[in-house]
Amino acid sequence: MFRQSFIAFSIVLLATSGALAKKEPAVPSAAAKQKQLALVRVNVTGQSYDYFRPWQKKAPFSKRALGAVLPKGRVLVTADLVANQNYVELERAESGEKTAANVRVIDYEANLALLEPTEKSFLDGIKPLEITSDTVVGDRLAAWQLEPTGALLATEGLVTTVQMTPYPIDIGQFLTYRISIPMQYRENSYTVPLVKNNKLAGLLLRYDSRSQLLDAIPAPIITHFLKEADTQDYRGFPSAGFSFFPTRDPQLREFAGEKSKGGVYVTNVEPGTPAMKAGLQVGDIVTGIGNHELDENGNYVDPLYGKIEFTNLLTAHAYAGDAVPFHIQRGGKPMQLNLTLEHRDAKDYVSPPYNLDQAPRYSVVGGLIFQELSRQYLKEWGPNWQREAPQRLVYFDHFQSELFPERNRRIVILSQVLPANSTIGYDDLAYLTVTKVNGKEVKSLDDLAEAVKHPIEGFIKIETEEDPKQIELDASQVAAEAPALQENYGISSLQRLQ
Amino acid sequence: MKRIFVIGYVALLLVPFAYAQQQSTPAPPPGEPQVPEQQPGASRSTPPGQAVVPVPVPIAPPKPNGPVQKSLVRITATSVEPDYRAPWNAGGLQRGVGAGFVINGNRIMTNAHVVANSRYITVERDGDPNKYPAKVQFIANDCDLALITVSAPDFFKNMVPLKFGGIPALESTVSAYGYPIGGERMSVTTGIVSRIDFQLYTHSSIDQHLTIQISAQINPGNSGGPVMQDAKVVGVAFQGYSGDVAQGVAYMIPTPVIDRFLKDISNGHYDEYPDLAITYAKLQNPAQRRFLGLKDDDRGVLVSSVIAAGPSDGILRPGDVLLVVDGHPIASDANVELNGEQAQFEEVVERKFRGDSVKFDILRDKQPMTVTIKLYKPWPYSLQGHSYDVRPRYVLYGGLLFQPLNLDMLEAYRFTDLRLRHFFEYFILEQIYLQHPDVIVLSNILPDPINSYLAPYRGEIVDEINGKKIRTLDELAEAFAQAPERIVIRMIGEGPPLVLDRDKVAAARERIKTRYNVLQEQNLEEKPASGLASTGR
Repeated sequence: MFRQSFIAFSIVLLATSGALAKKEPAVPSAAAKQKQLALVRVNVTGQSYDYFRPWQKKAPFSKRALGAVLPKGRVLVTADLVANQNYVELERAESGEKTAANVRVIDYEANLALLEPTEKSFLDGIKPLEITSDTVVGDRLAAWQLEPTGALLATEGLVTTVQMTPYPIDIGQFLTYRISIPMQYRENSYTVPLVKNNKLAGLLLRYDSRSQLLDAIPAPIITHFLKEADTQDYRGFPSAGFSFFPTRDPQLREFAGEKSKGGVYVTNVEPGTPAMKAGLQVGDIVTGIGNHELDENGNYVDPLYGKIEFTNLLTAHAYAGDAVPFHIQRGGKPMQLNLTLEHRDAKDYVSPPYNLDQAPRYSVVGGLIFQELSRQYLKEWGPNWQREAPQRLVYFDHFQSELFPERNRRIVILSQVLPANSTIGYDDLAYLTVTKVNGKEVKSLDDLAEAVKHPIEGFIKIETEEDPKQIELDASQVAAEAPALQENYGISSLQRLQ
Repeated sequence: MKRIFVIGYVALLLVPFAYAQQQSTPAPPPGEPQVPEQQPGASRSTPPGQAVVPVPVPIAPPKPNGPVQKSLVRITATSVEPDYRAPWNAGGLQRGVGAGFVINGNRIMTNAHVVANSRYITVERDGDPNKYPAKVQFIANDCDLALITVSAPDFFKNMVPLKFGGIPALESTVSAYGYPIGGERMSVTTGIVSRIDFQLYTHSSIDQHLTIQISAQINPGNSGGPVMQDAKVVGVAFQGYSGDVAQGVAYMIPTPVIDRFLKDISNGHYDEYPDLAITYAKLQNPAQRRFLGLKDDDRGVLVSSVIAAGPSDGILRPGDVLLVVDGHPIASDANVELNGEQAQFEEVVERKFRGDSVKFDILRDKQPMTVTIKLYKPWPYSLQGHSYDVRPRYVLYGGLLFQPLNLDMLEAYRFTDLRLRHFFEYFILEQIYLQHPDVIVLSNILPDPINSYLAPYRGEIVDEINGKKIRTLDELAEAFAQAPERIVIRMIGEGPPLVLDRDKVAAARERIKTRYNVLQEQNLEEKPASGLASTGR
């Protein structure tokens, strides 16, 4: 027993001395500690919308995190932290002084947000963090957290990879630093700045405590976000609107008439996107973007990181509105296309990939609940939504560009049925896609709300893609029953179309 | 009646009694990790080391049913399970034990799942040390029944054929006989009739028939054994829930299903169940009833879909209301009264045979009509059920294995691909079979220098080859046989074509065959895997 505790003690000693011995510039110097840290606590109270009961919000949540203080009195946090917020509060680390804050700009796709204190003088005395974009593989970064006392807690980690990975919203891929780091849990671990030489190098994106691997939103993405945030209208990160496939296979290269090296095969060009407008076609081989050549897997050689996927050229380096020259081969002939990049808004999808800080649209007709399909709705099934949500709806969401090439529509679903007199016998219906109401095609909830107003001989007839194919309601009964339905199920309003 | 696959069914756990392990039942959502169940066969011997509590073996069966030992046999079947991941191989050997009983005509009745895929069967009887080789005479995989026979001349001499009774009354006592785990000799358990209902038959895992639920303890090895009342067989024990899902819930195949099977084979051939191939909805909503012009009499069901490959195509339409089937009024919850029992209206169709007709009084656009449907079995359903006693179909070309999509193949690979699952589940409802009678999947790749970069195509569905739509596996084989120098295979969905160089494929042929021990590069016909079984296909 005695022996055991002795061993444990010696290990602790070793660990401590090791950290002391390895003191690197990543950890701020004693002098820096004396100054006001460029960190504030961020307290967020929020409520997510309840997609299963779309007229209400879920129970409030609260999150405590850190924000990095930037020039011009702004505080950088992740979008995750402040999505669906009701109230954001900043708290000085050392004094505990608090003030309310506004979300000035938020980009859900890049997972970044800028906060501004309502009290302008709140950040006085704090020297803002500068941003350093020169982090490369092998660098050491320090994760800054705060002890309950307000003292700094710094942990050091090694940047092991720089690569493109999907961010939580899962639209395209963004540059990411992967850092091997033994993070310690603190109640404010939600947003954690990563610092190199007292400059901001990244922001925690996700952390896997088992493998002790941290993914960080890197400085180039933060810089891009900040630059865009300075413009009048924040537009978001640009995209080109095509999908691609490697051309490693010599048989495919030969088929495509591609004789030189490199390039990716264009597999799909989405209607209405910059790629389509510029005339990119399925079967084209994209061999270069700007001055960069692409290899067979779609990587270019980045001066900082070496080989990395070309989409980094479009997200980190280019802005919406930029014209980017694409070098392609079509039928063996080289061509150049200029793509004027645009940001694709969530609302420009048939099944929007996210919908945050906005109330979901719905319509309740006599106990039948109609909603528009969105990934936000599917995510209500939890982290394994792709397996657990109704598979037919997941299929529609996943293959939306193939199944619904016309972009200006929504998929209206009968999501569930509230038992009432008018819905007797319909109680088990759920997750049906609505094709027509009262004979009129339904391509949005607005179509549905309009069509419901025109019953056929006193009946509201709803047609669905799936069985039972047709559902009828008595229009006058629906109207008469509406107050009781609202009362019974606590539905504040029977529809929300805004 | 066929079960239509629709996503969202609650997965229950049912085990045909011959299975030793769980198998998830209603339409196992393809791709869902399945317990690698031991294939149908029958009960395994008790694993060594398992604590066996000595329980006295029942010495004599309850008197009312007479000396059942004189009719009961223990069946040991050795079967070969097709290997869908290496379809050129014969497959894995399995051995299982089930029960059977002698009926008139020197025949032994048992469950299809006891003898499906079997290569060698022996039967034993009480008080006789011999094992007698047996052969399958008829097997009905859609209702899990089979008849086997023993050629030894004396075998049936002292055996007493059992007679069949009717549907036992609810709450009446029944006894189940068989050779379940727990001992070597015959076991008898009793229980009461708990419920008479339609249930999924997990052996095919697509067919639903009348089933009687009993509370008698039934375990692996009871499969195929008789369930008796008043010295008559009132059912054949066949499936139940595994103990961790529900206890005291066991199912037997009732005599209407058995009678139908015996009648079906009386012409020397099993024709399988015909099916209307429609889906319908109950008509319990008053507003909907008024909209359709129905009286307030609680009658009628609404036709939702009519499958083009089925016998109702061109006769029934979506939106029709079925009011009366062969003179039996259909209630709005789809029930009819048959011999004083409530049953789903499909039971009327269930008891018919291929070529028989069924008459419906319907309401179409508020006008009454009478229609007659001549019944047959629509082919597309077979994709969604298990197949037995057949060799898997496949084509291997350039190390690429192409297989038609079906339940067995999907389970073997555990594909989770959304598109594959959609094609599987909506094969019938969205009439995918019209465009793709075979949904041909690039299911596996045997690595070779000619296919080094083709892994991303795995799990995709073939759409066309060199501009020609590929509808069946035969057409695929033909397209490869007639291939020009460059073969361009387009898959469904976005993605580049898969391009193969014919001459390179030819050069790699022997190399791949040798390296992976491929005995045969294709099997286009779902021919019986052994001479023993007559599948009725």
